[in-house]
Amino acid sequence: MNTNLKISNVTKIYPGCVANDNVSLEFNSGKIYALLGENGAGKSTLVKILSGVIIPDEGKIYLNENNLKLNSPLDAKKNDIGMVFQHFNLFETLSVFENLIIDSDEQRESVREKIDAIMKKYNFSIDLDIPVLNLSAGQKQKVEIIRCLIRSPKVLIMDEPTSVLTEQETSELFLSLKKFSEEGILIIYITHKLKEVMQLCDEVAVMRRGKLVSVSEIKNENIESLANKMVGQNLKTIKKKKAKTSSDQLIKITNLNFTSEDPFETNLTDINFSVNRGECLGIAGISGNGQSELFQVLSGEIISEKNSIEFNNNYIGDLSPQERREYLMAFSPEDRLEQAAIPQMKIFENVALNNFKSSNFFNNGLINENKIKEHSKKIISDFNVNTDNIELKSQFLSGGNLQKLIIGRELITSPDLLICFNPTWGLDVGAINYIHETLIKINEQNKSIILISTDTDELLKLSDKISVIHKGKLSKIMNSEEVTSEKLGILMGGAN
Amino acid sequence: MIKIVKRDQPSRAIFFFTPVLAIFLTLVAGGLIFFILGFKPFEALKFFFIVPIADKYGFSELLLKATPLCLIAIGLSFCFKSNNWNIGAEGQLTFGAIVSGGVALLFYEQEGFYILPIVILAGAIGGMLYASIPAILKTYFNTNEILVSLMLVYVSKLILDYLVVGPWSNPEGFNFPETRQFSDSAKLPLLFEGLRIHAGIFLALAAVVISWFVFYKTYLGFQMKVSGFSLKTAKYAGYKGKKMIILVFLISGACAGLAGVGEITGPIGQLHREISPDYGFTAIIVAFLGRLHPVGIIFASLVVAITYLGAETAQIFMQIPKYTGQVFQGMILFFLLASDYLLFFKIKFIGLKK
Repeated sequence: MNTNLKISNVTKIYPGCVANDNVSLEFNSGKIYALLGENGAGKSTLVKILSGVIIPDEGKIYLNENNLKLNSPLDAKKNDIGMVFQHFNLFETLSVFENLIIDSDEQRESVREKIDAIMKKYNFSIDLDIPVLNLSAGQKQKVEIIRCLIRSPKVLIMDEPTSVLTEQETSELFLSLKKFSEEGILIIYITHKLKEVMQLCDEVAVMRRGKLVSVSEIKNENIESLANKMVGQNLKTIKKKKAKTSSDQLIKITNLNFTSEDPFETNLTDINFSVNRGECLGIAGISGNGQSELFQVLSGEIISEKNSIEFNNNYIGDLSPQERREYLMAFSPEDRLEQAAIPQMKIFENVALNNFKSSNFFNNGLINENKIKEHSKKIISDFNVNTDNIELKSQFLSGGNLQKLIIGRELITSPDLLICFNPTWGLDVGAINYIHETLIKINEQNKSIILISTDTDELLKLSDKISVIHKGKLSKIMNSEEVTSEKLGILMGGAN
Repeated sequence: MIKIVKRDQPSRAIFFFTPVLAIFLTLVAGGLIFFILGFKPFEALKFFFIVPIADKYGFSELLLKATPLCLIAIGLSFCFKSNNWNIGAEGQLTFGAIVSGGVALLFYEQEGFYILPIVILAGAIGGMLYASIPAILKTYFNTNEILVSLMLVYVSKLILDYLVVGPWSNPEGFNFPETRQFSDSAKLPLLFEGLRIHAGIFLALAAVVISWFVFYKTYLGFQMKVSGFSLKTAKYAGYKGKKMIILVFLISGACAGLAGVGEITGPIGQLHREISPDYGFTAIIVAFLGRLHPVGIIFASLVVAITYLGAETAQIFMQIPKYTGQVFQGMILFFLLASDYLLFFKIKFIGLKK
């Protein structure tokens, strides 16, 4: 049976932003559709409208010519629309089976039979009776998919499903999705990854700033054409020049361990690596494998053994972040809004968070506001932050501008080593380019970078050496020319 | 139709307007309560808010009550600004009073200019010691400072109780639960003949000036502000979190202790069971009503002090229980929290849409 889903003139307005501006789209079963766009383009809003999480201000949705009233996620389920969110909605301590029957009113036995049938059909192998917390991300996602399939949906929506998957898990997922599609399930695939769109989908709808920009068949597109549509401008490609091989060691980590009291944190075991001057060491990995802990250990938010970190011939493992800054280290954490900056404070106040002694922001315990402001103005102009008002609260800066401010603040002390954690997470392509150029420039000035990132493309583009973190352990360090994203994927999944 | 819209940015004018709105709503609600109780609302409000401060004596009483409130609230704002929830100022006040009272009793038959400074200092130290308990437990054992500081209030009151009926009770006092009167050298000088307002007000004013300077001009103030917004950021910036927690608790304890000294060496002149009508708790309302801003706290302490006086006048002239004062304090906080909604949302009146 053919399924036809129609979105007609949907508009959703938030204060200060039009998330969906009169969007109309039509989908038919038998094809896999990509909904492509940058962060903030309005994909998620549109998908949430389809799954009943958000109610649109205007517009209608038709499934096989029936006008759907989607006022809650339950309405979407009742109308055979299944949705797998980017972040899993599973109870970690319940078993897989308990998670699957939690919203079902059928008999346990009959559901179990159904699940077994589904698993057999699609070649899933998951133990139904172990707690979800023992599953890998890929398996958890399968549980979410099975949960949708139990209800034999007509439409299956996948929201950025590969952001937590390894390369191998991704190709397994794609196989399953193709199978579903052949069986007549209409699949809508949300992503900002162009490669995946080319690999998987039949048709692609591109969104930009809340508007639908284009709908086209994949065979008429290529990666460049899609990227330009997504961004709305022609992008220049940046390439890193091969760094001069230097053997001048800057930082050396020896037998570093961290055991956390918090069960939701990852322990670090036996970390060893070194970075030379002018080098960028990339650390890849699926998020949640100890990156955040590693960043904190390197920045000094978590203190470790004095001898475990040697920087510029000093042992600094037991020093605080502020003391490490004096040794010319700088840090750009992952969380811009809750850690690296305070949105409610003014731009120049955020600049003062990097209290490097010789910047003289504070003298004898007093605030030296003139000095801070002078520095802030310099950062704003040097790093292209799009404002001229340093009294502006940082919450009014876009993510890209805020990140430029943060990187600028960290670089103003001309540190020997910059440690950054997902520096381009959630930014638009223009800002990503700018940050990447900045990082390349640092290396060119013979300064070093440790780049912890979950974005493999970014790592391959910027790193001289790459290592992969998995469950708190680092893989051996490889030269980036010898590494492919496939190889990284295997290591990220925990294989050797 | 009325529509509620999120503000892009909390407006600064609204930030200072909502406390005024809260006070206004408290007056309206108070009038309504009086009306239900069978009083003429305007007359009752007049007895409550105007009669008590209509003469010189009343005004002196207002400042007398506002002094400890202001002092404690200034101290508390050091804690509250930096994300430390000290709600045990009443205990720190009591313990400060105990220590300074003990020192004053040591000197009970002596006179000398040096006595008063020692007594005042003892009070500040007492308050600091008592505030250091929740601070140290929080920093080294991860306890919750709200619970610890609150429970210590009752401990301090029991200690005071024990001392005034037991070892420190006045030997010539016919077993009344009180100590001897302090000597004149251990008392804060009165500012005007016949009025009770005493030199303690200068301590409060000094605290206002110093705190303003610390909050807005020093590195410590900046660190407190950052910690108040995000402890994660404070950690990332490398601030010494433990040191700061202890420091703000000590400052806050010292202020509460000084407020205790002001009471026992001022209007009371001895230790007895009830040295504070819950100033330490009411000061929490004062701190928030004053928006944790030193100048705001001055106004807030005056407003809240009236509720103490008004309750007494209302009891005398209208036979309303003096606990009405606490009802009014509660209403102020209630309406303040409610009107804070306006900080983030605005109400729009728009025509009916077809």
